[in-house]
Amino acid sequence: MEFPILSVITWTPFISALIIMAFARHRPLMVRLVGVIGSSITLVLAVWLYFAYDHTANGFQFQESFPLVPSLGIHYQLGMDGWGLVLVLLTAIILFAGSFASWTVKTRGQEFYALLLLLVTGVFGVFVSLDLFILFLFYEIAVLPMYLLIAIWGSSGEVLPQGVFGWAFKRTGVGTKEYAAMKLTLYLLLGSAFILVGILALYTAAGSTSFSLLDLQQVKFDPALQSWVFLFFYVGFGVLAGIFPLHTWSPDGHASAPTAVSMLHAGVLMKLGAYGVLRLGFGLTPDGALQWAWLVGGIACINIVYGAFSAMSQKDLKYVVAYSSVSHMGIVMLGMATLTEQGVNGSVFQMVAHGIMTGLFFALVGLVYEKAHSREIFKMGGFATMMPGIATAFVVGGFSSLGLPGTAGFVAEFLAFLGAWQSAHSWWLFPGVTGAFLTAIYVLRVAKQIFFGPKSEDPHFQNLPDAQGTEWVALVFLTCILVLFGVFPSLMVGPIDTATVSLLARMGVMQ
Amino acid sequence: MNSLGPLSLEIGLGLLMLVVLLLGIFRPAVRDRRSGWVALSGLLILIEMSFAAAPGATLFGGSYVVDALALFAKRLFLVSAAISVLATLSLPSERFARRGAEYHFALLSSLLGMLVLASARDLILLFVAFELMSIPLYFLTGFQKMEDTAAEGALKFFLVGSISSAIFLYGLSFLFGATGSTDMAAIAPAMAQGNVLAKFGLVVALAGLGFKIAAVPFHMWVPDTYEAATTPFVAWLSVAPKAAGFIVIFRLYLEGASGAALVWVPLVSALAVLTIVAGNLMAIPQTNVKRMLAYSGVAHIGYMLMGLAAMSASGVGMVLFYLVAYMFGNMGAFLVVQAVGTSEGSEAMSAYRGLAQRSPVLALSLLVFLLSLGGIPFVAGFWAKLFIFRAVVDQHMYGLALLGAVATIVALYYYLVLGRRMYVEEPEKKTPVAVPGPLFLAILICAIGTVVMGIYPEPWVQSVMAAARGLF
Repeated sequence: MEFPILSVITWTPFISALIIMAFARHRPLMVRLVGVIGSSITLVLAVWLYFAYDHTANGFQFQESFPLVPSLGIHYQLGMDGWGLVLVLLTAIILFAGSFASWTVKTRGQEFYALLLLLVTGVFGVFVSLDLFILFLFYEIAVLPMYLLIAIWGSSGEVLPQGVFGWAFKRTGVGTKEYAAMKLTLYLLLGSAFILVGILALYTAAGSTSFSLLDLQQVKFDPALQSWVFLFFYVGFGVLAGIFPLHTWSPDGHASAPTAVSMLHAGVLMKLGAYGVLRLGFGLTPDGALQWAWLVGGIACINIVYGAFSAMSQKDLKYVVAYSSVSHMGIVMLGMATLTEQGVNGSVFQMVAHGIMTGLFFALVGLVYEKAHSREIFKMGGFATMMPGIATAFVVGGFSSLGLPGTAGFVAEFLAFLGAWQSAHSWWLFPGVTGAFLTAIYVLRVAKQIFFGPKSEDPHFQNLPDAQGTEWVALVFLTCILVLFGVFPSLMVGPIDTATVSLLARMGVMQ
Repeated sequence: MNSLGPLSLEIGLGLLMLVVLLLGIFRPAVRDRRSGWVALSGLLILIEMSFAAAPGATLFGGSYVVDALALFAKRLFLVSAAISVLATLSLPSERFARRGAEYHFALLSSLLGMLVLASARDLILLFVAFELMSIPLYFLTGFQKMEDTAAEGALKFFLVGSISSAIFLYGLSFLFGATGSTDMAAIAPAMAQGNVLAKFGLVVALAGLGFKIAAVPFHMWVPDTYEAATTPFVAWLSVAPKAAGFIVIFRLYLEGASGAALVWVPLVSALAVLTIVAGNLMAIPQTNVKRMLAYSGVAHIGYMLMGLAAMSASGVGMVLFYLVAYMFGNMGAFLVVQAVGTSEGSEAMSAYRGLAQRSPVLALSLLVFLLSLGGIPFVAGFWAKLFIFRAVVDQHMYGLALLGAVATIVALYYYLVLGRRMYVEEPEKKTPVAVPGPLFLAILICAIGTVVMGIYPEPWVQSVMAAARGLF
């Protein structure tokens, strides 16, 4: 038997969490060390996987299988193709950076790290599962700890609800972390209800013998069934991917969550949704996908433009980043809706690029808040002289966000837009490009105000320190990777393409 | 004696009742806990016997059967009663001063009714067993007779319960009129011929049974009754009579009916939808945990009705699985309410603030129960819901499955609100909640059952399917 590398990488965070819960009570340093060591091991393994992976072959590699509930056809079956490879790498990178970014968590740090690592096990599990049932279980593991992570360690917003319905919002608790946590959890579990019914429908339609993705891919389902099951997968996973109008949990949740959780959630978990739509929706119900591609693409266009406009009007820095995620996830969904090789490649590349970029942004927002104790954009100003490191990283992240050549964001957006132009709906290009233009406005405006604008007179904002010690790790690491993938996109596009080609060939849109 | 072998459980239980009663009459004690211990040890022996028994016997010309379903139901009743009696041992003694024997005698006689009910294949025997089960329940609800709420709850329960019994009997009388026989085996052929009287009788009987299982719109008595009665009893009340109601439904509507049972699909689906939606929505605004659990219990009945709506062997099997999962989850939750209620003197949600920091084990158990009730993976309730959905999807009722799945999320909201109280909020005081030994043991049994079923459901699935197949 081969070395079960995928199981090891999936369960390493979980085992770290167990160690933390068992041995590190009242030992904050040990908690952090175990967390960092666990995440470093997964990063090393993910990089090793990248090199061990056969970049020319398509199909699933490193497969493992073990019967779990044989009478129902449930197997613990893992495997990885090009998409899984890059997304596992992304997860490992964000986890590594996130475990350093959480260094300053003070209260109940033991439980915090344990839940964070547990959640990451769920994320890895989804990316490497080949059995839909196991995938669903991992999906739930990835979603549930979020409730506690936000409700206990989150922060309530500073900008209170205003406007005509302000009083109603205040009554429901809009802006508080408890509200955000509950909203996020319920939205995502609502999505999982759709997913579960969709999975069960395919399972029974295929004869109730196997939940395996590989087996279900062989089945030719009835087009009418495919049509609504695809919609279920699209809505179910789409909630997590932040599709309009089901995206509203995302700004609230991401703004309220503690730094590392925002990084992981916006950086990786939202990709879980997009990955689910691509893998299950497009992969298992191709006829449904062809039928509904116009809807997926159309909503993606709304996401891009609407998210960008929303980001522009925010006063809270964290909300700007959160809404920019909504906008950028639109590009991910747009890319896959084009059903072209470039488009789907761009979609997956955008998952990675946006994951790293938004992880970097949330880390930076966390740092700024730590130093200045504020997230209100218009109160701050001229921070670049005091914190040049943070300012530099913010600008690089911003360039990637607006798609400047030389950064990962450029490659992703370029591929996605190219795909849109080649697709049957070439007009999708225009909302896409408009979104990129609007991104430039809100990113540069924020950068100018906070870092390069006139220095704030507020006595709280004088003599703020730059990043220190472990804080540099997340910052430098993520910035470098953003540029690395921008300069050498083939590192990612190569493996992504093998999986894309096999998907499109199976869908019959490409020979 | 040999011909009475299949009745050994009932006879044993009858003897146990006598012992408990005589103990109370001839050896009264000021602080009576002996009757509880006697009842518990007797129940444990009976549980052992029920697991040793083999299905397949028929008595009294077919009016009494011990098939796989009956045996499964009996085990469920006995185990749930044992858990309840175990938890009762820790009730503050004053309430049971001098009256422990009465309490346990009543509980055991209700249990006897259930055991007979599970085996009854004759309408008259069925109704007698039904009443034997119900009447002690009214008495037990009002057991704390000095408290106004107990009297009120008992009276409500009694009035609603007697009316439902009357309606049930009215329905049965139509069945007799249609078939000319009290044998339940005559119902299926009559239904197959499309006999209108039989159909009408069954619809009326369903309303009567609806009161018993507390399906919406027959659920009104549930929250008040639950709130008024002693909690360990409520834990049992919320599970065992409901299970008994479902067994009766299986026997009346499904046994031998095969294709003819499909006529019930629209009615049962409608009941299921109504019960799930109403139960979940009404649970949301509750601030008393017992009332919340009462309404959530109503919603769970809806899920079981949904499994019933599949009208298939897998549907029935999954309802049985759901009942077992529900027994562990719901009883466990009520027992934690008992522990916190005794220690804090309050059943309000606010009593649970910061419980995780005060009594981590208790809080974790309650969380496990709530997650199980909410249908989260790795605990029993997840499989229960999953299997129900699967049975429904198998019959191509996708809409029903989706509604059930979405309603699960609504339910998770109010479970999570309680979870937030325990885990997120800070406690008002740091002292741990005092939990008496027997109660703690009962909670632990429920928690272990919930987790084991969640991690390894395979053997449970096998046994419920074996029980369900006999009906078809």
